[in-house]
Amino acid sequence: MRKTKNIRIFDVIMIIIAILWLIPVFWMINTAIKPTPDIFTTPPTWIPEHFTLEHIKAVVQNWPFIKWLLNSILVSGISTLISLFLAILAAYSFARITWKGRDTIFVILLASMLIPWQINAVPLYFLMNNLNLLNKLISVILPITAMPISVFLLRQFFVGIPSELEDAARIDGCNRVNTLFRIIIPVSGPALAALAIYMFIFSWNEYFWSLITLQRVEKYTLPIGLNMLQGAYDIEYGLLMAAAFLASIPVMIVFIILRRHIIEGMSWSGVTK
Amino acid sequence: MKKALRDQWSGIFFALPFMIIWGVFTLWPVISGFIISLHNWDPLRGSEFIGFKNYTYLFTSERFWNAFLNTFEFAIIMIPLTLVFGLLFAFYLYFSKSKTKAFVESALFFPYLLNVSIISLIWKWLFDPDFGLIIEFLKMIGISNPPQFLNHPLWVIPAIAFASSWWLMGYRMTIFRAALESQPFEIVEAALIDGANKWQIMLRILFPLIRPQFLFATVLTVISGFDVLGQVMIMTDGGPGRSSEVLALLLYREAFSYFRMGRAAAIGFILFVVIFIFTLIALRYLGKDVSK
Repeated sequence: MRKTKNIRIFDVIMIIIAILWLIPVFWMINTAIKPTPDIFTTPPTWIPEHFTLEHIKAVVQNWPFIKWLLNSILVSGISTLISLFLAILAAYSFARITWKGRDTIFVILLASMLIPWQINAVPLYFLMNNLNLLNKLISVILPITAMPISVFLLRQFFVGIPSELEDAARIDGCNRVNTLFRIIIPVSGPALAALAIYMFIFSWNEYFWSLITLQRVEKYTLPIGLNMLQGAYDIEYGLLMAAAFLASIPVMIVFIILRRHIIEGMSWSGVTK
Repeated sequence: MKKALRDQWSGIFFALPFMIIWGVFTLWPVISGFIISLHNWDPLRGSEFIGFKNYTYLFTSERFWNAFLNTFEFAIIMIPLTLVFGLLFAFYLYFSKSKTKAFVESALFFPYLLNVSIISLIWKWLFDPDFGLIIEFLKMIGISNPPQFLNHPLWVIPAIAFASSWWLMGYRMTIFRAALESQPFEIVEAALIDGANKWQIMLRILFPLIRPQFLFATVLTVISGFDVLGQVMIMTDGGPGRSSEVLALLLYREAFSYFRMGRAAAIGFILFVVIFIFTLIALRYLGKDVSK
């Protein structure tokens, strides 16, 4: 009796916390759709008295917002695809083929996860400059396609696949490439989906390196574009919140549709040891 | 014999594409970053080898230590806040049987999906000294002269750290929640029968079981604590004065505002060493019981 009561109290507390947690997001939308005079009132209005699309229109008309969105989709889509491909091959090698030097290289890979992005920024800038890739989307994509964490996560999954499956295919005359594509990949659907989600979100939110390499406005991705908007508008919160709102709409839609998969997919990265 | 040789080659063959890109865009920059940090870099006159002078300069520079302490302050507030709340909320999700917990989980997780620019702009607005929601709220509950968070040297780092925890907590929470759910429930049932209360179960039984995942999340949070940049850049740009200038921002300015690449690279290396040390500390305290 007492126990169930306790649980209910916690449920109520947590619902309140969850609602408080969403207030910043709510406040962004609320500000984005209010006319400017209504934004700066005390006390603040929780339900907009007047509704306007002026801020949203201004952002789309005055800035290459759609272009930034497309750039972001391009960067995240391509880097997710490439990194999945590279990680599948590498994880297969680290998990299921025995070769000299494998374990040493794997440990070095793991250790390199600790390298902060900032340490690479200066040399990477020179490198991209020499390759003539600065200001091109490919320069954002390339460094995030080979992240050790993706190999690490997939390897853990591949290790768990029973070797009988592979042996049977071998006896039937499949070579390594065939085994990988016919046996390993088909049974790894959930792991690959989880990794794809993880990579997509990571690259969608990438900020520091893009800030350095992308200097032309039409090459910006969403995070960088938003940062520049704030330089242009300073404290015009209606416009800034409209831009932030627009930039978060794709995420909101995807999250509402794929909520369960996204949360499961993200948490998977921590559960594999 | 023949198979071993074939395995050797196919192993390398499969790993190679990843290793090449990783080598060019991760390993090589680290090595060359260290080399650059030993130079006085000058685009016109050419760079000159100066040994560890960039490092000794930084260690005697007031601006560097200011940035170092700011980074440290940010990390010391943000890391425990994020991990502790992530853990507590995960325990709640584990124990609750309520139908509302799916909503709670989604709401707490959602901010993690927004990018750093979005969350920074939102929180800058919430912290606005004249019309910000937080100031209004504090006035409403009777605090007549609330601090102007982002404009106050004392409050600026805690404010940014708080906003960052709001942003990053959800991902940690889902990691812990999934880790808890993968544990056999019989252990908890047995403990309940033995008369243990929920707190004892959480701290003595469940927490040790999910220690590996806690360690993973700790390392992740240590990294995002010490290489913080976007939030600071957008919310305050290091201000007021230099009271929120963190190491990564100083690095960015040295490299791309003052074009002192050698010094910037040296800051990057110091950052790496700091993250490394804190990861070792985490491993020592959290990792020691994993093998038991």
